[in-house]
Amino acid sequence: MSCEGLNPMPQARNFRRSPDEVMRLVRMGCSHPTRLSFLRQLLRRMQAEDWRFDRPVWEVDARGVGRAVYRAIGPVRTYSLVAFSHDLPPEVRSDRVIATAWDATFALFDGTPTPADLDRLAANVPLQEAGRISPRELSLSRANRSVRLFDHVLARLAKGAQPDAAMLRETGYLMRTTAVYGSGKFGAADRAAIAQRPELSAPFQAEMLSVWLTRAFTVDLVEHLARAKGGEKAARLSPELKSGLGVGNSTGLGMAPFLIHHPVLLNNWMLAREEALARVRAQASIGADELAGFQAALNAARENADLWTSAHDIQRAKLADLRDSLARIAAHVAQGWDQSAAHPWDDLWRWGCEALPLEGQEVLLAAMLEPHGALIDGLGECMDADEGTAFPINGAMPVGELRAILRAHYDWALGIDYTERAQCARFWYVSEDKLEPRLGERHEEPGAERELPLDTGRQAAALWQALQDQPEDQPVAHLLMAAPENRLAVRRAQITARHPFAEIRDNLIAAEMLPIDILRCKLAFFGATRFDPRSDRWVRISLFQDAPYPEDLNGGGDEA
Amino acid sequence: MKHDPRTDAGLDLTLSEISALTTRATRGAGRSWGEAEEAAEAACWLARAGLDWAGALLEVLQPPEAGADCALRTGIALADAAALPGPLVNTPLRVNSPCFLLPFAARMADQTGQRIRLTAAETRVVLAPGACPLIASPGRMSGPAQVTLAPDQQDQPPSPDWPQTHRGTVIAAKYARLTQLMMAFTVPTSAHSHAGAGAQGDDND
Repeated sequence: MSCEGLNPMPQARNFRRSPDEVMRLVRMGCSHPTRLSFLRQLLRRMQAEDWRFDRPVWEVDARGVGRAVYRAIGPVRTYSLVAFSHDLPPEVRSDRVIATAWDATFALFDGTPTPADLDRLAANVPLQEAGRISPRELSLSRANRSVRLFDHVLARLAKGAQPDAAMLRETGYLMRTTAVYGSGKFGAADRAAIAQRPELSAPFQAEMLSVWLTRAFTVDLVEHLARAKGGEKAARLSPELKSGLGVGNSTGLGMAPFLIHHPVLLNNWMLAREEALARVRAQASIGADELAGFQAALNAARENADLWTSAHDIQRAKLADLRDSLARIAAHVAQGWDQSAAHPWDDLWRWGCEALPLEGQEVLLAAMLEPHGALIDGLGECMDADEGTAFPINGAMPVGELRAILRAHYDWALGIDYTERAQCARFWYVSEDKLEPRLGERHEEPGAERELPLDTGRQAAALWQALQDQPEDQPVAHLLMAAPENRLAVRRAQITARHPFAEIRDNLIAAEMLPIDILRCKLAFFGATRFDPRSDRWVRISLFQDAPYPEDLNGGGDEA
Repeated sequence: MKHDPRTDAGLDLTLSEISALTTRATRGAGRSWGEAEEAAEAACWLARAGLDWAGALLEVLQPPEAGADCALRTGIALADAAALPGPLVNTPLRVNSPCFLLPFAARMADQTGQRIRLTAAETRVVLAPGACPLIASPGRMSGPAQVTLAPDQQDQPPSPDWPQTHRGTVIAAKYARLTQLMMAFTVPTSAHSHAGAGAQGDDND
């Protein structure tokens, strides 16, 4: 990790969890958002730098069709969400990637768009993948209404009344994005072109800004339509109800391979979070503010867990674990926790590891980090990655050293018999129709000969076999000349030796592997809440629920 | 196909798109995943240097003619071996795309910390560690051609700055060929996968 030499708390290293413990899918699938999550980093920066926000364009008619521009004005640069609102027949509304029309479409523009820019975007953004944006745009996205809630809120506001609070809480959003593309997709600016900007250097900041401004658009739109329908008597959404609304998101397998394709980035995300936990555990005492902040975080987690629902069997069991764990944590904090221990946070953590299921341990982690902003927020600056420097293979590495790396970091992979049906049951591939990642059943479906190289464990085991008869001092370059099929595994092993949290330490083609575990880990780093799987491979979540709105930050809102 | 950035004036791809297209086209051409990753990295390097990444890529994805080696495989082997003890071998190579050797020669320069000179007929390119390539003597970079790689100890002007923007341009015919190769690595989505990904049910919640 690039910040290692600058670590102000080297003693925290003794409190770090091992990658073998952290990088298992079953635990990653219990991840919770923390104050290091990307949307939290965005909100903190905008607040600290006193960003200003306005809406210079609102050209939306009484049917909700038109365009709008929302600006976020930072100390150096301005970014603008350009929104196009459409009249979408219910029968064509689909969250899936095959959809061709949406209730609203968006692009995040770099600067303030001119009328000519808006016309160019109007000709392309509503088409999404079938259109083309430019390096002046940082993201491309679309959203669909939660029709039942949107119509309810609209009808109530038009009559001058407030919507039903329980309905709002149950759904949690007026619209949900179904894709948010950035990083060079469909003509947008490449990551490398913007990564040096301080406000965009943390991962996914442009995408988070786009979604946050989209949230403001969803409320503006429903209030606009209520005024169009109800005239003078129409009400605006009450601040309390408005605050509880986020932006929903439907997400499928498309984002799962990202974490495997970006091992250094994954390492930096995980290592920052683990270092944060270690720093808290290493504290020799508990401050009054930290204790109060921790208890407030636990209370917030309990409220969130009460409102968090899912129809999926796996998630329902996890929610039961979560609620039970939070109750046990509260009881232990009130009565059992030795706050005078040499390292009281570590004492609490160790209790949690003994007493709680994984879901409870990971929510305890998030709550422990919450009151320690001064101690850990700087780690957010270590969560991006220069992946190019990690790419070249060290051909001079002796085979003996490579063998030792595999023994140290791939023990989880080397003992598996990948010829067993259950251990190779799945294969990842790119779909012919949408060029999107998919998951196939190897023994039932065609196409396995074109599978993506996400079988990281099987590759490591094959490399281990290839090394068996090789001299210890043989350089890797010679090995790869003779056995080039091991190239990917050699690269991953060399990366993992330097970045120990780079590899998900599970068989990603096994029958029991759950892609939603990968999704939950990634989405927790985004800051997503209300993780709600609809199958083992796609989910709905909420972003920015209970976060401030642009007008709140214009006036100096609560800490993010 | 999901996405087609063609315009009347040609195609202009981002680095992200060049990387994805190159990886998939290389794999679709029957190369290994290891080679596909290397090809994508090399294509992006060429684009950043303002060179014809698509033309060079298509050259290396063709089976090399008799007597010539694949520049991708040759480049990978040379870059892997760059950090090994001993002098850089200064033997002539015959490859199907001298241009596609440049990114690997650049990596050799990075690994050894010394300037590397690539010579192909009248063309001379100098690669300093981390620097944009210096075209010391311009000429034809397409192949097949005989190439020499050697440490460069001659006085040279400073390497140029990396261009502000990469060269993403690719003519329609080359894009079509790369897309054709890419599609050979895709798989029709199964009904099972469709269903699990949410194809069933109503999204009007």
